[in-house]
Amino acid sequence: MSAPGTDPSATMTSGKEVLKRIEYSGEMLVNMGPQHPSTHGVINFLVQTDGEEMTRAIPEVGYLHRSIEKIGERCEYAGFMPYTDRVDYIAAMFANQGWAMACERLFAIEVPKRAEYCRVIACELNRIASHLISVGTMAMDVGAVTPFPYALREREFINDLLEELCGARLTYNYLRIGGVAFDLPDGYSERVLRFVDHFEKVLVEFDRLITQNRIFVERLRGLGVISRALAIDHCLVGPNLRASGVDWDLRRDLPYSAYPDFEFAVPVGTGAVGKTGDAWDRFWVRTREMQESCRIVRQALQKLPEGPVMAKVPRRLKAPEGTDAFSRIESARGDMQYYVVAGPGEMAHRLKIRTGSFNAMGIIEKLSRGIMLADLVALIASLDVVAPEIDR
Amino acid sequence: MSEPTQKSLGGWARDVSESARSLWEGMSVTLSYMFKKPITTQYPDRMPLPVVHTLPTRYRGFLEVDMDTCTACQACERACPIDVINIDLIRGDGVTTPKTAMERFDIDIGKCMFCGLCVEPCPTGSIQHTREFEGAAMAFDNLTLRFVPDPAKPYPAYKPPKGADAYPRKPLGEIVRKLIREWDAPAPAFPQRDGQTPRPGPAEVSHVPR
Amino acid sequence: MSAAATAISLSLSTIAKTSNPRSPEQLVDGLLRARGIEASSPLSTLAMVAALLAIAFIVVNCAAIAAGIFSWLERRIAARMQSRVGPNRVGPAGFFQWIADAVKLLLKEDLIPEGANVHLFRAAPYFMMVGFACTFVALPFSHALIAADLGVGVFYLLAVTAFVVVGVLASGWSSNSKWSLFGSIRSAAQIVSYEIPAGMALLVPVLLAGTLSTQGIIRAQGGWPWQWFVFHDPAALAAFFIYFISALAEGNRAPFDLPEAESELVAGYNTEYSGMRFSYFFLVEWGNMWVMSALATSVFLGGWQLPGLDAARFDALTGGAAIGLEIVSLALFALKTMSLVFVIMWLRWTLPRLRVDQLMSLCWKYLVPVSFAGALFVAGWMLVVRAAPVLDLLMRGALTALGALVVTLFVRRTLSNVRDVGDRLDVRGNW
Ligand code: SF4
Ligand code: SF4
Repeated sequence: MSAPGTDPSATMTSGKEVLKRIEYSGEMLVNMGPQHPSTHGVINFLVQTDGEEMTRAIPEVGYLHRSIEKIGERCEYAGFMPYTDRVDYIAAMFANQGWAMACERLFAIEVPKRAEYCRVIACELNRIASHLISVGTMAMDVGAVTPFPYALREREFINDLLEELCGARLTYNYLRIGGVAFDLPDGYSERVLRFVDHFEKVLVEFDRLITQNRIFVERLRGLGVISRALAIDHCLVGPNLRASGVDWDLRRDLPYSAYPDFEFAVPVGTGAVGKTGDAWDRFWVRTREMQESCRIVRQALQKLPEGPVMAKVPRRLKAPEGTDAFSRIESARGDMQYYVVAGPGEMAHRLKIRTGSFNAMGIIEKLSRGIMLADLVALIASLDVVAPEIDR
Repeated sequence: MSEPTQKSLGGWARDVSESARSLWEGMSVTLSYMFKKPITTQYPDRMPLPVVHTLPTRYRGFLEVDMDTCTACQACERACPIDVINIDLIRGDGVTTPKTAMERFDIDIGKCMFCGLCVEPCPTGSIQHTREFEGAAMAFDNLTLRFVPDPAKPYPAYKPPKGADAYPRKPLGEIVRKLIREWDAPAPAFPQRDGQTPRPGPAEVSHVPR
Repeated sequence: MSAAATAISLSLSTIAKTSNPRSPEQLVDGLLRARGIEASSPLSTLAMVAALLAIAFIVVNCAAIAAGIFSWLERRIAARMQSRVGPNRVGPAGFFQWIADAVKLLLKEDLIPEGANVHLFRAAPYFMMVGFACTFVALPFSHALIAADLGVGVFYLLAVTAFVVVGVLASGWSSNSKWSLFGSIRSAAQIVSYEIPAGMALLVPVLLAGTLSTQGIIRAQGGWPWQWFVFHDPAALAAFFIYFISALAEGNRAPFDLPEAESELVAGYNTEYSGMRFSYFFLVEWGNMWVMSALATSVFLGGWQLPGLDAARFDALTGGAAIGLEIVSLALFALKTMSLVFVIMWLRWTLPRLRVDQLMSLCWKYLVPVSFAGALFVAGWMLVVRAAPVLDLLMRGALTALGALVVTLFVRRTLSNVRDVGDRLDVRGNW
């Protein structure tokens, strides 16, 4: 991860080397995590610090590695669907969709229109839920505890809706290769619309409580500024990328599923309170994206076409050995990509999942130089990394 | 406040007034919640209704198999990505004993991820998710639901009538409710059959904490 | 409440009414004299010491109980503000939760981490307890209830509250944990810095009253809001807020809870503590809320003063009326203090936490200059008022009206908040 022109000794190194090097300097090495309240057992940061001011923080990943990609190579294509839920358990619908799309391309299956709409509705609800967790925990890491239960409460309403739709609250497994498992239940659109109306009001309240709060703004402005070039260099995706001023959203720029049918804005960080690409911008972009998701859900419910929700899919899914397929979707954490190579029989030969959180982790060491210890927590939270997505 | 820069008096006053404004907004929001009904419920004992009754019909809880309509096709066993379902078949002559019967139909709900993939291929709708979900157990083995209680009495496979599109089924949840034991029930003794390696008994695998 | 038990012990004083005693020494002295024992005899000294010990025992226990009750209160209030229910199983509305928690903490193992400085580690919580319990000596509870009406009351209170920092530093240093060390260093820097604005803000009522004694400052105010020092002039109003903010910072309460910021420092200086010693830290934290609120009530909000009854007339009362009004004044004082405690809790559950540098810049760039300017302004204003007393009345009236207006607008804002999200008021459900 060494960018040209930086001190080679400051590149990413193992904890042992750091220990050796700082043995004689006056600095301190603190393990932030895995048993730390804000890393809750899944990430570790080796924090090299000189009092309150940090020299840097080195992320150590791998605490939640479960070889999901390898599991995908011993599972049937359809049987892997529930595993994708675990790739990103906060936004499982997207992981489902990426896999479904990859397989649909592999087997050349045409998905019915209504199924695409169901997917969009479920995914956008899930995006709101995921962003709620993100903004809630971010507020909590900055020290405001109350926005978190408020965010969780709204998320519970979404969970109720998704539970009604697919039977589970967290690991949805709603999508199938070739469509979705269930059609929308009776009266579902009224309930979703009622929630969306309510949620838009709550979002205004949420902005008043925390987004515009002076202390919150002061804490986050100018923190962890990711410039446009740096964001692109580090392959940041999703809200993190957009907060840096890059106007790039797959839903609009490489449209998939039913997204071309809808009108929505892509919020981009403007540096309203500090510099473009600071932590507050990332927070703000997420709150705006929730609003846009509400808009999309509304339009999708209005335009919902009739028809089946499942394509004709052969019982045994089998592709010629060596054929491959690739899909990319805009998940709550950005560009999520699946690459699958068909193997002999009904299983994949190779599966690769590309997720946003892993790259976001890579940038932390660079951003953490010279910031305060307290800001490290806010910085990590602002990148919205989800541990299973880092390790898979 | 963060940058060590010189601030004009106007900027200083703006800081103060901005802070006062955010105090005003934030505190009025939190106070308004003080006088609203809490959103949380007190599971399990202070609920207006048992939670099971408030769940949507599609809820994916414990699996249940109605053995009377199970065709022993093993489609569910094949569909399960993590081999939760175990079906043992015995073949008979079709005269004195049924042609196909099931000696064992086990679902290990301690391992099941409630994904619902097994429900979809079932030809008769015999295997279904119920809304039951409360099955904490001290003994891990108690989480294995045995739909054939006694291997000595195998269940004959169901032969669906020709052209039928609906099959009789017991009310959902009735069967599985009987199978869920008390949380502190002792681990079951595993039935052993001739010619089979004995499966690990409760003494070896029980996870009952002291 | 701590005040209630002290009331029982000391209501004797009003009953005895030998010479309308103002302090326990006078009370004991009077009792002894009534039995014909002279103040110079050794028996009198012994009795005095015994009486003081008894009072100290009562005060410390009441403080502990008050802190326990606050812990319950805070959890309930926090829960309600977060749309939750909070502890509600042990006793009515979960009231005995704090007893259950205290018993649990008492029974837990007292862990001492390896490499810790054992003696210092053990002693640190007691340093904090001492600094905290000592404040109750000079804190008034009602017209007659005060352990010792010291001539240097406010000064004494400022001095002993700073003692807590010794405990914080000792605990952080001796724990042999980096998180604890961070917490205690933060805390020391914070408490030492905020002493200055707090002291300067308290100078304003001291100037206005012309005395350092807490009872004296209360007596210089009156029962009606416009007689309180907080509405005396704009500088006093600012001083009230500055004192309140500084007291929050000194008590390590949010938004200044950096020393125990759990998302950053695990639990700060008390990370390594467990069991009884751990509970001391929390006892001090919650008990401190009473201390800072009671002090603010005394010097800015008119203390125990009853509306329409001035202090001199109160002194002259005897018999049942005196006891009755004593209890009313106690209740009034407790009510004012509890509202401030509520505000402290409310702030904690609303605001994010400041960063260390922001904390310091808030202190040195905002609070310190304003508090100095305020003290100067008050001195000048007092001269102006002496020349034109009508200005005083006008200013007090205007500020009180302003306060009332702000409260009304705030209540309306809160009500409209409830409506805005399509909810309705409901205070019955789920207490
Ligand atoms: S629900 Fe999923 S994991 Fe459970 S038995 Fe069925 S297929 Fe297997
Ligand atoms: S439960 Fe259904 S799928 Fe499973 S064996 Fe019986 S009939 Fe076949």
